[in-house]
Amino acid sequence: MIAEKSTITHNLLEQLQKHAGKIAFMPDAEIVSAIRHLESKGVPNNKHEDYKYCNIESVLRKEFKQVEQELNTLTSNDITPLKLEEAINLVVVNGNYSEALSEKMIVKGLTIKSLTELSSSEKELLSSQAKSETDALIALNTAFSGNGIFFQVEKNNVIPMPVHIIYVNSGNSNFVTNARNFTHIGASAEVTLIESFYNIGSSKVFSNFVSEKFVGENARLTCYTFQNEGSLSYSVNTNQVKVSKYSNYTNNTYTLSGELVRNNHNVELAAENCEAHLNGLFITNGTQSVDNHTLIDHQKPNCESNELYKGIAKDKSTGTFNGKIFVRKDAQKTNAYQSSKNILMSDDATINTKPQLEIYADDVKCSHGTSTGKVDTEALFYLKARGIGEENARKLLLQAFAQELIDKIEVASLKERVLHLFEKAL
Amino acid sequence: MANEILEEHIQNEYKWGFTTDIDADEAPKGLNEDIIRFISAKKNEPEWMLEFRLKAYRNWQNMTEPHWAHVSYAKPNFQDIIYYSAPKPKKELASLDEVDPELLKTFEKLGISIDEQKRLTGVQSNIAVDIVFDSVSVKTTFKETLAEKGIIFCSFSEAVQDHPDLVKKYMGMVVPPTDNFYAALNSAVFTDGSFCYIPKGVRSPMELSTYFRINASGTGQFERTLIIADEDAFVSYLEGCTAPQRDENQLHAAVVEIITHKNAEVKYSTVQNWYPGDKNGKGGIFNFVTKRGICLEDNSKISWTQVETGSAVTWKYPSVILKGNNSVGEFYSVALTNNYQQADTGTKMIHIGKNTRSTIISKGISAGFSNNSYRGLVQIKKGASNARNFSQCDSLLMGDKCGAHTFPYIEIKDKTAVVEHEATTSKIGEDQLFYCKQRGIDNEKAIGLIVNGYCKEVLNKLPMEFAVEAQKLLAISLEGSVG
Repeated sequence: MIAEKSTITHNLLEQLQKHAGKIAFMPDAEIVSAIRHLESKGVPNNKHEDYKYCNIESVLRKEFKQVEQELNTLTSNDITPLKLEEAINLVVVNGNYSEALSEKMIVKGLTIKSLTELSSSEKELLSSQAKSETDALIALNTAFSGNGIFFQVEKNNVIPMPVHIIYVNSGNSNFVTNARNFTHIGASAEVTLIESFYNIGSSKVFSNFVSEKFVGENARLTCYTFQNEGSLSYSVNTNQVKVSKYSNYTNNTYTLSGELVRNNHNVELAAENCEAHLNGLFITNGTQSVDNHTLIDHQKPNCESNELYKGIAKDKSTGTFNGKIFVRKDAQKTNAYQSSKNILMSDDATINTKPQLEIYADDVKCSHGTSTGKVDTEALFYLKARGIGEENARKLLLQAFAQELIDKIEVASLKERVLHLFEKAL
Repeated sequence: MANEILEEHIQNEYKWGFTTDIDADEAPKGLNEDIIRFISAKKNEPEWMLEFRLKAYRNWQNMTEPHWAHVSYAKPNFQDIIYYSAPKPKKELASLDEVDPELLKTFEKLGISIDEQKRLTGVQSNIAVDIVFDSVSVKTTFKETLAEKGIIFCSFSEAVQDHPDLVKKYMGMVVPPTDNFYAALNSAVFTDGSFCYIPKGVRSPMELSTYFRINASGTGQFERTLIIADEDAFVSYLEGCTAPQRDENQLHAAVVEIITHKNAEVKYSTVQNWYPGDKNGKGGIFNFVTKRGICLEDNSKISWTQVETGSAVTWKYPSVILKGNNSVGEFYSVALTNNYQQADTGTKMIHIGKNTRSTIISKGISAGFSNNSYRGLVQIKKGASNARNFSQCDSLLMGDKCGAHTFPYIEIKDKTAVVEHEATTSKIGEDQLFYCKQRGIDNEKAIGLIVNGYCKEVLNKLPMEFAVEAQKLLAISLEGSVG
């Protein structure tokens, strides 16, 4: 068992090392320790508590025994349909920032550059939040990090339009990408960031994305994660977020397709009076599996967090929600709320939920609720009695179920895209 | 103010901490096949029983201790435990008069009567009691009354001798010896316990009860309870336990199995009050228990109610496998931890049959430096159509040095299932206290009142005699522990 485990990891390391060049922006010590962690722990399988419902090891064993390096062969014609009209569109292909495909626009207070262009002080920020020792997939990304985007909003700047980063994978043989991003929002700055994930190639991809996000004092970062990677894509997305005093972090995640999608969303509420809102909607069909894993770490008093995740599982698909609210000893006056609601559409589909509370402070208000069920038969009857066919009535009810989350999108073109794909998936 | 009261009451001593000076027949310390043969020979067991033990022991040797629970403790040294300790009988007992007077005194102090006569004077009401002292069952009351109805209620050792067919058929059915580390250990070295069989169509006329007491130092207690309710039968079963105050950590690893046939119902209530250790967290019982029931056939019901106030470390998940169609599983729990106690407790509801229903109500109260976790699994298997589950786990925190946690796992594979789970964490509100105090109820009583109100849903499920005891226990264990 142990021998097998390490062969999978070793095989992966070997394959990746064959192609890997020197990663100039990542400190050598970080790379060495990341590889050491990977070698000693191996990639997680379902015996690993955090990956109980998401067996990464078996995916690597079955689909990614042999991986090749894929270079960017995309043209702007490939990218155009992925763009959002009212946003600044940036493109990352197979984990590397492509300046040629990205839109160029000069906006006051906004810095966008590739990780290789970082100054030495900026380099130190990398890996300051996403630690290799906490997760083997962070370690994998750190060891073979792609040349991703450094995204910075300087203090006191409000960026008037949303920024849209398109992560697109494309290749002709099975491959692995390790896209990386660092987002730094200065004090009292505000921005809306959309991150979209696509796979437009003809072969399978294991996409292992890590994003570190820092929200400065009194700042506001609103993020949208849009995932529509298709059935050839297996992806792990890790967001490691640190929120400062008086600031606000919001993330809405929409997962519309992907063979395996694992979202690790870890938020540190590291100072007083800050808040975090995480929302998510997924719809799965076929044999897809979506696993939303969140951790809200309340470190200081007077913070607030909210989570709302909804999912619809069809066919033989699996939907998982694992949310943890962690309230530390000093974090008095914490308000934390978590809710997960799911609908099962087929007898072969599975929903797993694990809402956790770990609380070490007494003056707190924490609660979670989760429910899983079917479409309300009475509501269905009501609609049918009014001459709406069963199929349409069901769709209407499912739309109503999801609407609350779709309405959270404030970028019109994105909302339209989500709505369109959601209706198609029904 | 509140802290002073907390201080004062945290000092509250464990009232059952005395030891009884009684001659005991003990096995040498340590565990190996010879010890198992020794226990088996002591009990004059048939060959198949010894085989069962040895098989479990060989399995156990290849198993590792579980570490997933949210508790931390020094690993018990399994070679430093006495696996068999029995009060030495002066001679063969014919009547109660011949029971060691020391032993009688012990149970008098505990408020448990093994004297059936006392029933008339109303000291102990209508309950048949099986008493397990250290490793062996010393006395089962009302045996004859029960036998008239065809109910078998005796110690496990007697059952092995007198009803080998039943034991052979049902033992290990719900908790196989390979189930987990402590169940395997128990299967290898269990010394006694209670056995209960309710025949077809019989409603037990009285509550059946087992009382466990660890007395000797350095011993572990490993008992096994097996309850079988045949078609249309009903029984309500109670379990209580205490242990003397000692500096060492003693191990208690029990196995309880319940099997219900068609239309049968078993209600199992526990008031667990093992010695929790002193206020610095020294000593106390490690309570690692595997309790599981199976609703084998249609329309049957198993209900677990537990009040957990004792033990230094608790690791316990009374579960129900809902195999029969229309079967019902219930779990009602109050877990209270104070000082340095740690509890990781909850339940598993496995829905296999159609139209199965389960309810989980868990109330956790943490005070002092303790940690209290709810860990539960609700699993709806494919084909368990119209399964229904409702879970509610509430936590009450008293003071800012304790922790309250919930780890619910919910796995659903059937589209017609409806599963709901909710959890909250809070503390006793200043306004609630103020309201009571304004009406002339002192702080002390107000807290008792509020906590009892908080636990009411669970306490209501206890049989009357136990409910009173449980309320008192709660009051003693946490009076004033409010921040």
